[in-house]
Amino acid sequence: MKRVITTAAILATAVLLVVGCTPGSGGESAADSKTFEFWSFTGINQKAAVDNYTKAHPDIQVKLTEVGSTTETAQALTTALAGGKVPDLVLIQGDDLPKFMQSPDNFVDLSTLGADKMKGDYLDWVIKQSTTKDGKVIGIPTDVGGLAIAYRTDLFKAAGLPTDRDEVSKLWPTWDGFLEAGKKYVQATGKPFLDNASTSVFFQAVNQGTERYYDADRKLTYEKNPQVKAAFDLSLKIHSAGITSKITSWSTGWTAGMSKGDFAVVSAPSWMLNAIRTNAPDTSGKWDVATIPGGAGNWGGSYLAIPKRAKNPKAAWNYIAEMQSPAGQLAQFLRQGSLPTTPSVYSDPQLIGKTDPFFSNAPIGKIYTQSVLGIKPFYIGPEDATVGSEMLNTLVSVEQGQVAPGDAWNTAMTNVKNALRG
Amino acid sequence: MLSPAPAAKTTARPTRYRHIQQGMRERLLPYAYVAPFFLLFFIFGLFPLLFTFYIALFDWDPIGERHYVGLENFTELARDPRFWGAMRNTFSIWVLSTVPQLMLALVVAHVLNHVRLRAATLFRMSVLVPYITSVAATTIVFAQLFDRDYGILNWILGLLGFQHFDFTASVWGSHFMIAVMVAWRWTGYNVLLYLASLQAVPRELYEAAAADGASGWKQFRHISIPSLRPIIVFTVVTSTIGGLQIFTEPLLANPVGGLTCGAARQCQTLTLFLYEQGFGRFHFGYGAAVGVALFVMVVIVAAINYLLVTRIRSERP
Repeated sequence: MKRVITTAAILATAVLLVVGCTPGSGGESAADSKTFEFWSFTGINQKAAVDNYTKAHPDIQVKLTEVGSTTETAQALTTALAGGKVPDLVLIQGDDLPKFMQSPDNFVDLSTLGADKMKGDYLDWVIKQSTTKDGKVIGIPTDVGGLAIAYRTDLFKAAGLPTDRDEVSKLWPTWDGFLEAGKKYVQATGKPFLDNASTSVFFQAVNQGTERYYDADRKLTYEKNPQVKAAFDLSLKIHSAGITSKITSWSTGWTAGMSKGDFAVVSAPSWMLNAIRTNAPDTSGKWDVATIPGGAGNWGGSYLAIPKRAKNPKAAWNYIAEMQSPAGQLAQFLRQGSLPTTPSVYSDPQLIGKTDPFFSNAPIGKIYTQSVLGIKPFYIGPEDATVGSEMLNTLVSVEQGQVAPGDAWNTAMTNVKNALRG
Repeated sequence: MLSPAPAAKTTARPTRYRHIQQGMRERLLPYAYVAPFFLLFFIFGLFPLLFTFYIALFDWDPIGERHYVGLENFTELARDPRFWGAMRNTFSIWVLSTVPQLMLALVVAHVLNHVRLRAATLFRMSVLVPYITSVAATTIVFAQLFDRDYGILNWILGLLGFQHFDFTASVWGSHFMIAVMVAWRWTGYNVLLYLASLQAVPRELYEAAAADGASGWKQFRHISIPSLRPIIVFTVVTSTIGGLQIFTEPLLANPVGGLTCGAARQCQTLTLFLYEQGFGRFHFGYGAAVGVALFVMVVIVAAINYLLVTRIRSERP
């Protein structure tokens, strides 16, 4: 019985903390201005960027914590904002941002620190997402997730498909062309072409439209938006064609399959290149990057924000101002490949000339900047993450044989509705 | 500190007064001894429990606004198929794990107690190893054993000419997988409990039965089980309460889909649903309502258990 009560109280204990700690009750007095605390995600090697900064400023000390996945970091931040110890600087993934934008008072308005002068440096639609209606800037964008396709040149060659990235891109100006190429590959090799149709098709295609789950008036219209339905049906069509290995992205089988060559193609938003590099280090040089079918789009990208109760907002801001300036983002791109949000560097010869040996020296700067320049921005709202994950999960269920393709759309709509009311 | 003062020092005082004072002390002393527990229980047990009931009446965003909504969270919950799905999953995983686990524990305990083994202590101790292994580590290892493409179970299925089976994807497959993890962890613990009380059973009973020609099964059925009755009731109660609160296994066994234990919530238990709502999506009010519902359920199940216990007790010779 004691255990019962304890568990029933998990929730309440946390809330106890919420109530118990009033803002500003942190024990340490104003920390010295040379130290600040920074929460980031795992897997993006934030440490390299921080090391670079501290090398240039030996007097500054950055306490970096890699909290966990993007979602876990946002959850930890929510808990911290509700009553715990907050960091001075925090990285928030684009899909998690709208939730925090609903309560902008939890964060420092960065325009009071100098963001108003930098606003013009960033892609208009990106900075708009972190700006409130009354002009407060909550976050500075660090990167965007331009879309592309990563493919295995060795497996393409064995299947008799072209291997040159321009020729491969010509195979699939549209998703239908992509499907045809996939069928040819499967015919020639008998092996799956693509990892899955859920993440690798739906989550790409739905980000290529002019509207996603909300319309321009910020109303939830996912159910009626023909672009969402089209992306969903496209995913089902590619699934039914039998050219995927039906392995869910980020599962253990997915990472194993990636290094074993169980599939030849993965959709690759710019940040995915790092994931491929980490998950399949033995395949270095066997990959290349081609353009995505269906035109420009963006998936992902993150923002740096400063919580209102931060002890040392000034030091955190100095870090943002230097590292997220156009020059700073360019340097970060050259080091680690995260795509800048500052269009002024898109024509920089260093960015254009950047190639990646892991991906057969593909000019990743050129490929990805082109995919975000043609973008038609849409509004991303507080429920986007929920709607997106419920729809994706339904498609995963289809791939796992638990939902019939014909029932998928209705199931997805029911699941989204259930999730939205909870 | 609070012990009664030595009599020698109090002789000067009126005896009546002393008598009252000593009586008071004697009556209050036990309370003082148990006070620390109740103080801690109040802070970490009762208060959060009551506060959960309070939160459940609100639409409560931890970093935003909160509104009083009355019982709306509960009416929503009653109509939420995710909640009923989680309820189904919880009970199904509980049955699948508890029943075979307790039966297996009984048999193993009987064998360990009865059969003359070399290094009996080693065997007796080794059944406890799964219990002291970290749940997270166990779960991750089991999830890999059950993996669709590279898991050893599917490898064996493949060798035998069967198609690979995606355990995590289907309802029963995922429940079976989690039940195996739970049983793996707790069987040894129950074996030890049974073994301890079996050792209190007089050897002569078994010897007499053997002399009368009772087989091993008959001895198990007619001596071991009846003498274990109270401890069986105890293990049923504890594993029921534990089973209704399974959390770590479904959280880690099927990380695809985040906190839902699979794309179709096929193995999301009530506690995981509570966690998803409370700390994944920060619907504190709704999460608290799930907690209250879980509390009510556990109370009902515990009451049924209590009735069973009293019935069994009165049945005892």
